[in-house]
Amino acid sequence: MAITMNKQAAELPAGASDPPARTPGKRRRRRGMGWGVLFASPYLVHLLLLTLWPLLASLVFAFTSYDMVNPPQWVGLANFERLAGDPMFWRTLGNTAYFAVLFVPLQTGLALLLATALNQKLRGMAFLRGAYFIPVISSWVVVAFVADAIFNSRFGVANTVLQSLGLPRQDWLQDPALVIPTLVAVAVWKGVGYMAVLFLAGLQAIPEEQYEAAKLDGANAFHRFRYVTLPWISGTTFLVLILTVIQTLQSFDQVFVMTDGGPNGASELTVLYLYRQGFEYFQMGYASAIAWVLLAIIMLLTLIQFRLQKRWVHYAA
Amino acid sequence: MPLETLERPTLRRDRRKRALRKVPAYLFVVAGALVMIVPFLAAFSSSLKSYEQYIQVPPVWIPDPAHWENYLEVWQRAPFNLYLMNSVIVAVASVAGCLLTSSMVGHALARMVLPWRNVLLTTAVGTMMLPTVISIVPSFILFKSFGWLDTLLPLIVPYWLATPFGIFLMRQAFLAIPKDFEEAATLDGANPWQVFWRVHLPLVKPSLATLGVFTFMATWGAILEPTIYLVSPENYTLPIGVQSLQGQFAGDEQLVTAAALMSLVPILIVFLLAQRYFVQGAANAGIKG
Repeated sequence: MAITMNKQAAELPAGASDPPARTPGKRRRRRGMGWGVLFASPYLVHLLLLTLWPLLASLVFAFTSYDMVNPPQWVGLANFERLAGDPMFWRTLGNTAYFAVLFVPLQTGLALLLATALNQKLRGMAFLRGAYFIPVISSWVVVAFVADAIFNSRFGVANTVLQSLGLPRQDWLQDPALVIPTLVAVAVWKGVGYMAVLFLAGLQAIPEEQYEAAKLDGANAFHRFRYVTLPWISGTTFLVLILTVIQTLQSFDQVFVMTDGGPNGASELTVLYLYRQGFEYFQMGYASAIAWVLLAIIMLLTLIQFRLQKRWVHYAA
Repeated sequence: MPLETLERPTLRRDRRKRALRKVPAYLFVVAGALVMIVPFLAAFSSSLKSYEQYIQVPPVWIPDPAHWENYLEVWQRAPFNLYLMNSVIVAVASVAGCLLTSSMVGHALARMVLPWRNVLLTTAVGTMMLPTVISIVPSFILFKSFGWLDTLLPLIVPYWLATPFGIFLMRQAFLAIPKDFEEAATLDGANPWQVFWRVHLPLVKPSLATLGVFTFMATWGAILEPTIYLVSPENYTLPIGVQSLQGQFAGDEQLVTAAALMSLVPILIVFLLAQRYFVQGAANAGIKG
């Protein structure tokens, strides 16, 4: 969707040079237009350099072999054929999907629950909300150290708690089976406050009468949540889902800092693999092919979500 | 509500009932807040330990004795002040650029004559959803051809070209200003730049603050771009600088934890000063996308 819009935007600079105006009114409008174009010019350059160029260049690079030293060489579909037969690439897609399947519902559900609780106009709410935002503002490097205090397999707090409950110690980030669930737990911890504030804005837009009416009809708290809250915030939920899916499929920072894809590739996510191909092995062509496949997957999922929204998103008339 | 028809005891009982109903929500929110804060306390405690206590099992909560000098030591043994300076330069320059250019473009879209205005607006909103993964390789090649590798420029300059989120946020803010201000200023002979700079911009300060804190947060925590573009350690920003200390200080991890927590302090101060703008920005992203 965004791609077609970009094509239209490519013709923008042409629109700026309309045929010369003749009437005085038109001339004044044209002078005003000069100011408008001047004000908009940062974004026109942005479109050219940071949107159109990357899209086109990475598409071309995807069909070349390019090591940054020698000029790119056209190789046709070779990169994509290699991708199809690259077991590590498929594994990273699997890891990414596993991460997303755990992360997206967990964070969205918890954020909604938290927002519902915060919406009760509790005393000390600003302070409480502040607590949820501290992980949000922390960089992933800070989070990595904070998480290490908890999930370090030797001296972390989590294992001490498990032990005191008589449960076996775990290797957390060093355990191939546990690494992604542990990363997801940390990611939810970091992101849930932000998402809750998103939902909170949606909740506060629900008119109080809706709840009063439901109460008069004898609806209990669960029914009110199910039949008033959920439909009313389905627009916000849809948006949160779209953004979370797009972000999750592109996660890089967390695994780069916390596991570097380990142990043994168990947490190698696709963008980390792309980074490795491009900036450790200097295979820019192959990295671009990965980027395009991932872009296609993200676009497809976004499109599917837009299609499905008619079934469950209610827009207030 | 017909309050006067209710008798006082009923009202009081009703109020108490309502307060009681909030208890589960309260417990949930407080427990959650503890889950958010306790890991930071655990890390803070770790940063004050000797290495022997740092790796002690089970972990001790209160370091004994508390090594406050850990914080000084990491500052002396690592180029922490260089990382800090680079991070401040990147964050301040990016915020300044993003505020100026995003509000210019937002102003053009909201208040000025502009060809293809709606196409531009839809493009800006649409590209907010465009995955950034696609631009990693081409942007690197572009900035390398400019000779900008191992400089802070690739981290700053994109913010001087307006961001889609910023454009959208500022356009909404400028749309809400009534036309009278502009007309009065124009009659007084103000040109479009003066209308923008002297009349409209002062009226959208809250949106500027929101955009400012979000840009600050994004640049302060960035990891991918600095990793790709910065080569020499003296050019590192805080996140990748602190991360690079890990190998260097093996066997002294309590010092790296101290460095990581110190890197949190500036953004924490910004957050405490401007909390409502963080919340507003998040809410804005939710309502309109």
